[in-house]
Amino acid sequence: MKSKKTAVPEVAPALDGDMAAKLAYEHDKNLTTHHFVEGEHPMVRIEHLNKAFDDNVVLRDVNLNVWPGEVVVVLGPSGSGKSTMLRCINRLETPTAGHILFKDQAITAAHKKDLCDLRKHLGMVFQNFNLFPHLSAKENVMIGQTKVLGRTKEEAEKEALAQLDAVGLADRADYMPAQLSGGQQQRVAIARAVAMHPEVLLFDEPTSALDPELVRGVLDVMRDLAENSGMTMIVVTHEMGFARDVADRVVFMEDGVVVEEGLPNEVFDHPKNERTAAFLGNITEI
Amino acid sequence: MNHTRSGLGFQGRLMCLVVALMVALGTLGILVPTSAQALTVNKATASPNEDGGSGVIGGIDTRLTWEATVDEGETISGVTLKLPQDGSFDGSSTRVTVLDGLKRKPVDAQVAVQGTALQVALSEDAVGGDLLRIEVTNMKFPPEGGDVQVTGTATVNGQEEDLTPSPAIAIIANTPLQAAVMWLDEQPWVAAWNSNQFLGMFFKPQLLLTSFASLFPGWLVCLAIVVIAYPFAILLGLVFAFMKMAKHRGVRAIAVTYINILRGTPLFLQIYIMFFGLPMLGINIDNNVLGVIVMAVNSSAYLAEIFRAGIESIPRGQYEAAESLGMNYMQTMTCVILPQTVRRVLPTVTSDFITGYKDTSLLSSVGVMELMMFSKNLTTVTGNITPYIAAAIYYLIVTLPLIRIVSKVEARLARSESGGGPRPKAGAPKATGVEDRDAEVVPGTAQCAATPQDKALVLAGMPMVEDACQVAVAAPAAEEIPAWRLLASSVFGTVPFGAASSKGESHEV
Repeated sequence: MKSKKTAVPEVAPALDGDMAAKLAYEHDKNLTTHHFVEGEHPMVRIEHLNKAFDDNVVLRDVNLNVWPGEVVVVLGPSGSGKSTMLRCINRLETPTAGHILFKDQAITAAHKKDLCDLRKHLGMVFQNFNLFPHLSAKENVMIGQTKVLGRTKEEAEKEALAQLDAVGLADRADYMPAQLSGGQQQRVAIARAVAMHPEVLLFDEPTSALDPELVRGVLDVMRDLAENSGMTMIVVTHEMGFARDVADRVVFMEDGVVVEEGLPNEVFDHPKNERTAAFLGNITEI
Repeated sequence: MNHTRSGLGFQGRLMCLVVALMVALGTLGILVPTSAQALTVNKATASPNEDGGSGVIGGIDTRLTWEATVDEGETISGVTLKLPQDGSFDGSSTRVTVLDGLKRKPVDAQVAVQGTALQVALSEDAVGGDLLRIEVTNMKFPPEGGDVQVTGTATVNGQEEDLTPSPAIAIIANTPLQAAVMWLDEQPWVAAWNSNQFLGMFFKPQLLLTSFASLFPGWLVCLAIVVIAYPFAILLGLVFAFMKMAKHRGVRAIAVTYINILRGTPLFLQIYIMFFGLPMLGINIDNNVLGVIVMAVNSSAYLAEIFRAGIESIPRGQYEAAESLGMNYMQTMTCVILPQTVRRVLPTVTSDFITGYKDTSLLSSVGVMELMMFSKNLTTVTGNITPYIAAAIYYLIVTLPLIRIVSKVEARLARSESGGGPRPKAGAPKATGVEDRDAEVVPGTAQCAATPQDKALVLAGMPMVEDACQVAVAAPAAEEIPAWRLLASSVFGTVPFGAASSKGESHEV
């Protein structure tokens, strides 16, 4: 409240749903491998998103649409605003200006109560897993179901065991997080998010905190989710291989701006923007 | 009834009167001759046989002194003294003195002893005005104690007459404890032990034993005060912790004022203000209840800081994870944050409990009958330090196990939070032996490993705690604090010069 803020950018009001869908389709039709359906609306719409922390402007006029079942991988150097954008989508950060709409419903305008309802549909996987250390793996997966979705303990337990099985941790259900490796913890965190049956899963650098040998297990789980569950996913990552193989669309961000977006092969093999090229060049050189 | 019978003549009425008179006289006749007016019992005393005290204990050898004056015109040829049941003259020796004024009469006495009876036959009659004194050494009063009267009979003018019971002698019951003390008294090693000035003054075995017994009620009062006060302190502490974290500035200011004043003034002073201030206002509360109130209020300020630091030490990511699942603030707090806070603050809260328990001793200054008060009184009576040592032992009985528990819990917490937590219970599949994509458990990866900031906050929560064990509570952070600072903090009671000690404190006001 007391902090000095830079002037809030003037932003046009959010577009009407049908209108926006049409424009978004025109914009995205050649940029993604997503199979469009007639009359489809984007699952998540980001319009003119601006975010600043005090004087530090992190996002400048970001526009992005994510279609149902689409896997969007966001790439970019550290500090480019990828994570902040992701955190704005479920309002862990409050945007300075702009609109984020989930199924044409404005997240940015939501009140606190509605926010809890909205977040049920927006699962999130964190860089640092953020498992609840006082609960076992199974209880971690159950707690959201029982407290937020109001499922019975039995239902929640059944779902939890099924999801833990899906991430290959059925035999770790009663382990405490501290007894699990980082990779195992992250897979429990994915199970926790998926057990809520969200419509969108947000991945915030899910493998960055892991030792290299533990990364594959987590990526395999994510790959499985993307290919077999038809889940809408927005993934912020540095895993180029994953992006190339799994993504329907790759978005490259730098300095709080979407610099380039397109089909994975296009972006990786023929980057149009020199900054993208430089970043990918750097990465592959290493 | 007699008077209502109209048919009865004067004769008959007289007869009735006579009969009544005879009955009355007969009753008197039983009483009068046996009440030995011939002998006035002046005194009956017993010499103290209590170790270090002035009491007379039953069942243990003592000396009975019994004196009576022979009334004018009477002659006494013998006296029999009787003790209540369980008393005993067996094995005693008796000295009989007959005084005529200040002159001692050359009278021999034959003494026969049988259980509770002691028969004295005088070789020469004691006459009117004579003082008869009987001293019986190595006799025993009944072990059950109580007010004991010496009774008996006297041979007055050749006739047996009952003595008036002597004045009562207060006898202390001989408990197993007394018996043990007596047994100790007789042991040569105890005598040798006590002959050392230090040991005898600080660790006198007999007194240690009696101290334990007489300090016990005080110990219970201490425990009761702190055990009753603590739940209230925890509730109040939680309230003020949340108030201090509130968004509203005024609410925060109230909490900060409350906490800082209570933590910034000595408990001793708070006790004085409450105990002397409230009666001045006409508010009279029972001492023990007021003691509970003062302790609860005082502890609540410390607990508020402990809880606040604990809650703030929970990583941001925990809130975010809970929020991303759609939990509201209450659910986040009750299901995620507070359960973790409890685990984190448990050692610190236990330490505060220990402090509170010890600080009940300050209540002795205002007359609460607790452990310190009892030991002070006993030391005053005996002139020996041993009761204080007994009090110390009573304090340690409670604090030592708690201190041990604190360090155990801390060690476990540090281990589990650093990610290398305890291995699964036996029977569960070994983490490394199972076919798994990333089988090896990597230590140090748990997300909840406290960041340095968290540790600083935890530390900041207890800068004013008073003893070493409380400082040790910041154990998970211990390896990051230089040894000299820990040492200094255990000496000065605060973390000196530390940014940590002031960081969490004052920025709010």
